[in-house]
Amino acid sequence: MKKHRTRSTRLGTSRLLAVVLAFGLIVAACASDDDDDAEEAPAATEAMAEESMDESMDDEAMDDDMDEAMDDDMDESMDDSMDDAMMDLSGTKVTVFGPESSEEEAGAMQDALDVFAAATGIEIVYTGARDFSDQINAQAAGGNPPDIAVFPQPGKVGDFAAENWILAVPDEVQAAIGAQWPAGTLDTVTFGGTLYGVPNKTDLKSIVWYNTSIFESGGYAIPQTLEELQGLMIQMLGDGVTPWCVGIESGPATGWTFTDWMEDLVLRIHDENIYDQWVAGEIKFADPRIVLVAQQTLDIWNTPGMVYASGGSIAATPFGDNGEPLVAGDCAMHRQASFYAAFLPEGTSVGPGQDVDVFYFPALGVKGNRPVLTAGTYVSAFRNAPEVWAVMAYMGSAEYAEVRQSAQAARKGGGQSGFLSANLDQDLSVYNDLERSFVEILQTASPARFDGSDLMPAAVGAGTFWTEGTSAVNGDKSIAEAFAAIDASWPQ
Amino acid sequence: MGALGGALIGVVIAIGASTALFFGANWLFDLAVDRWRTFLATSGALVGALIGAVIAGNDVAGGPLWLWAAVCAVVGAAAGIAASLLGTPSKSSRTRLSERGRLVTFLGPSLLFAALGLVIPLIRSIYLSLLDSRAAEWVGLANYGEILTNPNSLDLSGWTEIFTSRLFYAALVLIAVGLGIGMAVGRRRGRTMEALPGSIGPIAIGLFVLSFAVFTTLRGTVINNLWWVVVVTGLSTALGLAAAVLADGVRGESVAKSLIFLPMAISFVGAGIIWRFMYIARPPQKPQTGFLNAIWVWLGSLRPRTGGAWVAVLILALATVLLAGLCAFGVRRRQTAFAIGAAVTAIPVLWLIYRFLGPGLGGSVPGPTGEPIAGTILFLQEAPFNNVWLMVVLIWIQTGFAMVILSAAIKAVPSELIEAARVDGATERQTFWNVIIPTIIPTITVVATTLIVLVMKVYDIVKVMTAGNFGTQVIANEMWQKAFTELNFGLGSALAVVLFLAVVPAMAFNIRRTQRADA
Amino acid sequence: MSTVTASSPGPAAGGGRGAGGAIERVDRTGKLIYGFLRRIPTWVLWLMVIVWSIPASSLFLNSFRTRDAQRNSGWWESFNEGGWTLANYSEVLGTEQTGGLARALVNSFAIAIPATVIPVAIAAMAAYAFAWIKFRGREWLFIVFVSLLALPNQVALLPLLQLYAGGAHWTIPGTEFTLTLFPDFDLAGSATAVWLTHTAFALPFAVFLLHNYISSLPGELFEAARIDGADHVTIFWRLVVPLSVPALAAFTIFQFLWTWNDYLVAITMIGSNGEAWPATIRIASLAGEFGLREHVLSAGAFVQAGVPLIVFFALQRFFVRGLLAGSVKS
Repeated sequence: MKKHRTRSTRLGTSRLLAVVLAFGLIVAACASDDDDDAEEAPAATEAMAEESMDESMDDEAMDDDMDEAMDDDMDESMDDSMDDAMMDLSGTKVTVFGPESSEEEAGAMQDALDVFAAATGIEIVYTGARDFSDQINAQAAGGNPPDIAVFPQPGKVGDFAAENWILAVPDEVQAAIGAQWPAGTLDTVTFGGTLYGVPNKTDLKSIVWYNTSIFESGGYAIPQTLEELQGLMIQMLGDGVTPWCVGIESGPATGWTFTDWMEDLVLRIHDENIYDQWVAGEIKFADPRIVLVAQQTLDIWNTPGMVYASGGSIAATPFGDNGEPLVAGDCAMHRQASFYAAFLPEGTSVGPGQDVDVFYFPALGVKGNRPVLTAGTYVSAFRNAPEVWAVMAYMGSAEYAEVRQSAQAARKGGGQSGFLSANLDQDLSVYNDLERSFVEILQTASPARFDGSDLMPAAVGAGTFWTEGTSAVNGDKSIAEAFAAIDASWPQ
Repeated sequence: MGALGGALIGVVIAIGASTALFFGANWLFDLAVDRWRTFLATSGALVGALIGAVIAGNDVAGGPLWLWAAVCAVVGAAAGIAASLLGTPSKSSRTRLSERGRLVTFLGPSLLFAALGLVIPLIRSIYLSLLDSRAAEWVGLANYGEILTNPNSLDLSGWTEIFTSRLFYAALVLIAVGLGIGMAVGRRRGRTMEALPGSIGPIAIGLFVLSFAVFTTLRGTVINNLWWVVVVTGLSTALGLAAAVLADGVRGESVAKSLIFLPMAISFVGAGIIWRFMYIARPPQKPQTGFLNAIWVWLGSLRPRTGGAWVAVLILALATVLLAGLCAFGVRRRQTAFAIGAAVTAIPVLWLIYRFLGPGLGGSVPGPTGEPIAGTILFLQEAPFNNVWLMVVLIWIQTGFAMVILSAAIKAVPSELIEAARVDGATERQTFWNVIIPTIIPTITVVATTLIVLVMKVYDIVKVMTAGNFGTQVIANEMWQKAFTELNFGLGSALAVVLFLAVVPAMAFNIRRTQRADA
Repeated sequence: MSTVTASSPGPAAGGGRGAGGAIERVDRTGKLIYGFLRRIPTWVLWLMVIVWSIPASSLFLNSFRTRDAQRNSGWWESFNEGGWTLANYSEVLGTEQTGGLARALVNSFAIAIPATVIPVAIAAMAAYAFAWIKFRGREWLFIVFVSLLALPNQVALLPLLQLYAGGAHWTIPGTEFTLTLFPDFDLAGSATAVWLTHTAFALPFAVFLLHNYISSLPGELFEAARIDGADHVTIFWRLVVPLSVPALAAFTIFQFLWTWNDYLVAITMIGSNGEAWPATIRIASLAGEFGLREHVLSAGAFVQAGVPLIVFFALQRFFVRGLLAGSVKS
């Protein structure tokens, strides 16, 4: 392998000393790595980005890969019609790094990749780390990136593209998966007209989990509009029922529940155009329209009797801890994303007529639209190689979604898998009823908007929007003070 | 098993190679004194092999690495022999060379690692701190300016409130009491001021309380860091020393020390979870699952109405009478420390009785119907004392650190010294204060200095427990967020440099003082 | 109980034998009170031990409880409720990702052992040199060296990762020629990169601590040895190392458990190569995104803490020996 010369480390000291150290340690290094597969040698990223773009891919081979990978009926084609291009990839290795790290989710991800690995002979290893978001920064900046990273924040895909750390998705891959996803899905990770990511997973955020027995005994109807929801909340207050469970604590990410509420309400009280401008930084946080939404959110939360917070206060309550009180009847509703079923106490049944059911977080009746807030992950590549693109294309495919969904549901022992994909070509029969209804909302949403805090620059979206928002929720700062601080932190 | 074998072989080879390098180098410098020619030839060969490797490694010319190294080694050896033919230096200069060389073998590895792993990154950080967030453009001291002008880092606006806080007056009273006792005893012994536990104790506690008065009114990241340093360093060192002394020679010493040491063995991930379980609060109508809030709410539910509660008050009152008696006894026998100890112990007991009969002992607030209901403490959210609750976590961990080092130092105090003091008729207390403490002072300095530095750099606890929210941000966590989460290397590096510069003077001062004491 | 109290020279209230003369003259009640007071230091110690043990024992009890039980009632309730389960432990021990927990524990050893032994060795040498080899600028070099302790380690992570991932290269200004200052050994992603980093980070503290001890050793001993013709290597090996065992043991304990429990350095240097991850990262990752399965970390913390505790127990006996070593002095 050709050595890349990088100037990234400024070592001014005597080269002699460095080489002495090197000699002393190389022996140990080689020996202790005996068992680590020393083959993969991720080159320094800068050099890689420069050079790899020059190397033209073997287009023919690429096309064949994609045809193969995209074949709708994988199981049939796998066994018999393995052509030469496919065979070429066996023996290669692809590493995938992402934020999903629990035994069930990372395991299901690996299961799904194993299916493709068995078919192609590519060794695919998925590694999930809890603090992926910080680590992928360090690994990319330090020149030790994985082959593929799974980004939950499209904004970060943009940052990485600007740094030339990730590679543009080749047209063949884009052509193969583009049509499989709802319109606009790829726009989220298209920067300057170039696509940098492939959609991998989708979450539905605009839903409300509710305690069915409270609704039944109180005779409450599922609200169809935001106005009805407002009325329902007041009705519940009068009946002595606590309408909401809210908690925004989430370790280093404390505050994201607040940002979700705000985003959902910006889409409803205003519209998607204002939402887009706000997310892009064209409308400031201090803008009266945005302040109004925050004020409305906090007015609901701060109304006495309106919110049950199992940790003593909203800011002190881990968002996951609200599952138990929702089932126990301490509150009637909990606005949280589609993966929340996993946080409900063991043995809780979910679905129509069960312990807990779900309704769509309604929109303003006077507007008559049906906005949906989504989230999800995108995969991006750090290494330019046919096997990497083959895996990328697979991770955006319907086959991947189906295998992953089945594997994850199996690993969770039935019930809710927590995995959704908005892929249009997938066979929806692998989903259970509730999750299928989520997918249908995702596929038909209009307008659908990606979680705004994940699109904003990291300094805001994973920084001040969380921290200053938390200050406002906790009453440490006024909304005006907090939002002025967010605006000040927006990178120029 | 393959993995285990490979890993262990690697470890053995690494350690073996380092040992061989060390003894080889020493052998080489032994040669310099007695066998000058062999020394020159060997060093020539080594230097040659190195140059050969550099040439081959840089593709200056073709050929395999081993060949270049071998050829250059032979050339180097020949050059060495040729040099030795020019004449042999005097024995004394050869010895001096050998000594120099040995210094290099002793210091070299440490200096090399420190240079590569610490000095170069430090210089890089200083450089990056003068650039913008993408390390592209020169911005001068703008990053430092941003740190100092950001109200989140330093907010001195509330300074006048220091003088109206209760803590401030409590501190003044304590300091006055300490000074008063010191002067009273001093006059009796013909000095202006006497340093004894009865006077130093209240003054020290008073200063500690005074620091709380300051740190709770002035806010910001920088202030938080200073607060951490004062509280955690002070308490960890003091408690570690206390544990080391109290456990020394006691039956069950190793059990006691192991249990105090246990927190050090638990990872930060575990510690974060532990203290979440300690601090968590639940709504009043639910049973508390957090240990501290459970106790707090239970105390709040105690009312002086039941018979049992009156018995408790009675016992407390008896204890007060007993303490008063002891105090009188001490005064009569001119055992000042004894009297003060009893009097001081009586204060919290009296306070307990007052709380019990009056506002209640623990968490209890009037509910909507006027009936008292449980009142919880949101340990991590209620500023500014949430900082203290975070510090408790680090104190819990670091006391074991201080204890182990100080215990080793106490055990290393020569028994002859202690025996000699005993023979001279010193009491155990005098032995402790006049023999043991002076002997281990350098170690206390080491522990305190290390803790200051370690506490200045604290970030994991804050990151895990509050993420810097609710006014608990510290410099190192902010640095992490800027540099790693937001990829703002300019500001992140500037914060690192600030942190470094803030600690270095204290360190250098401490080390210099120890050096003087040694000399 | 007499052995317990006789040797506790505590500074606590009322303790000590200073009142000895007075005591003989007071009545039996006084003696009782005095005996009670004399034991206070021991009582204070055990009170402290209890306070220190509560947090960890709460986690220990919770590690045998389900997530819902952990959330709904305090750990002390588990004595009434029962419902103990080993599910958390089986989830931690049974993880299948990237080679499972066994592989991760092996990696932890492969990192922690060299990251402890090598710094101890080279720091002891440096501490000896700073203490007993005279050279110009010694004091200032020592201050500069130990001051590096104040450097936040995080700032060194990225430069070191770049060094391991790509080596260090320098293009000589004005020429096309690039010189390799540090070859690319492909260390990033391996345990080696982690312990090399730990070694660098550990040195300032190690030298500081060991220097404090080694410089307090009696100089006459070394003078005598030098007159007998011993060189520095002999003195270091035959005198300094044996006499410094308590300090070496203390540092070994800390360095081992810091490196064993380290998360940040390991994940930065290893990154996405999960097969080289030590147990800390493997276990922490089980919590999953959004802390979905955070309750298993209670069991993970104890699996993780086992080895450092064994090391502590094994090395603790050297502290008692320190007494003997110290008495060699005069």
